[in-house]
Amino acid sequence: MYFPVKRTILFNRRKAAATSEAEQIRRAQQDHRHFGVLYEAYFEQIYRFVFKRLGGDEAVAGDLSQQTFIKAMANLAKYEDRGLPFSAWLYRIAQNEVNMFFRAQKKQYYVEINDRQLSGLLEESTGESTFSQSDLEQLITIINNLEETQVDIIELRFFQGLSFKEIADIYNITEANAKMRLYRLLEKIKHQWKQES
Amino acid sequence: MEARVMRKFKLHTDTNASDRPAGSQEPTKDQIARYKDFSSVNHRYDRITKRPKKPLYRDPKLLLLLLIIGIVFLLIFLEKEI
Repeated sequence: MYFPVKRTILFNRRKAAATSEAEQIRRAQQDHRHFGVLYEAYFEQIYRFVFKRLGGDEAVAGDLSQQTFIKAMANLAKYEDRGLPFSAWLYRIAQNEVNMFFRAQKKQYYVEINDRQLSGLLEESTGESTFSQSDLEQLITIINNLEETQVDIIELRFFQGLSFKEIADIYNITEANAKMRLYRLLEKIKHQWKQES
Repeated sequence: MEARVMRKFKLHTDTNASDRPAGSQEPTKDQIARYKDFSSVNHRYDRITKRPKKPLYRDPKLLLLLLIIGIVFLLIFLEKEI
């Protein structure tokens, strides 16, 4: 008899949390000054995301994060709750802001990554668990020649460590679709790896 | 055709663990706190979305008022001349 009561409480708590966020969004849509609650709740994770994408440039990350929230405020009236987390919508805006920043650069913008970040990708794409410095450099060359959207998926999964569910929410696709896209991409990397080896 | 970004990855070659590339590190609480400022976001949002001031030539009342003031000054000046 105790168990169902506990489940009900948990369910109600989750439902209450979801309702309160929906309520906060609704309030912010009516008056942008209420957006502060959402800003407080999500700033840290958006800043972390942008910071890592930029390779640790804290000032630019701060600027782009602020820009993300200004855009979110400006477009909040258009936001519709389709069952996806609100954070996914913010991630999408942040992703676009960072990509726009990279496109606006007059010269190449280099983001440093280390062997630890690359090892997962190398293992999944080539099946090799031991690798040399030249293997890593070869992998970086392949990544650098991929298209923007392809690099984004690689980055979200292997460098940012997002789950398939989170990636699917950002792109507004199903989890299976996100897995499929990554699988095809890994196959492409594997193919190019074999060609160059 | 798909856009190619100006961002490129490069391998961080320094193997010293304490000197990891910044991108692989998490930002500190201080760094996050430094850039967390809702009042500035709100201010910038207001500045962007605020309706621009009406230019003078689009406000007939103000334009008329300035014209009358100009004519009055001109008449005073001409009267002194005579």
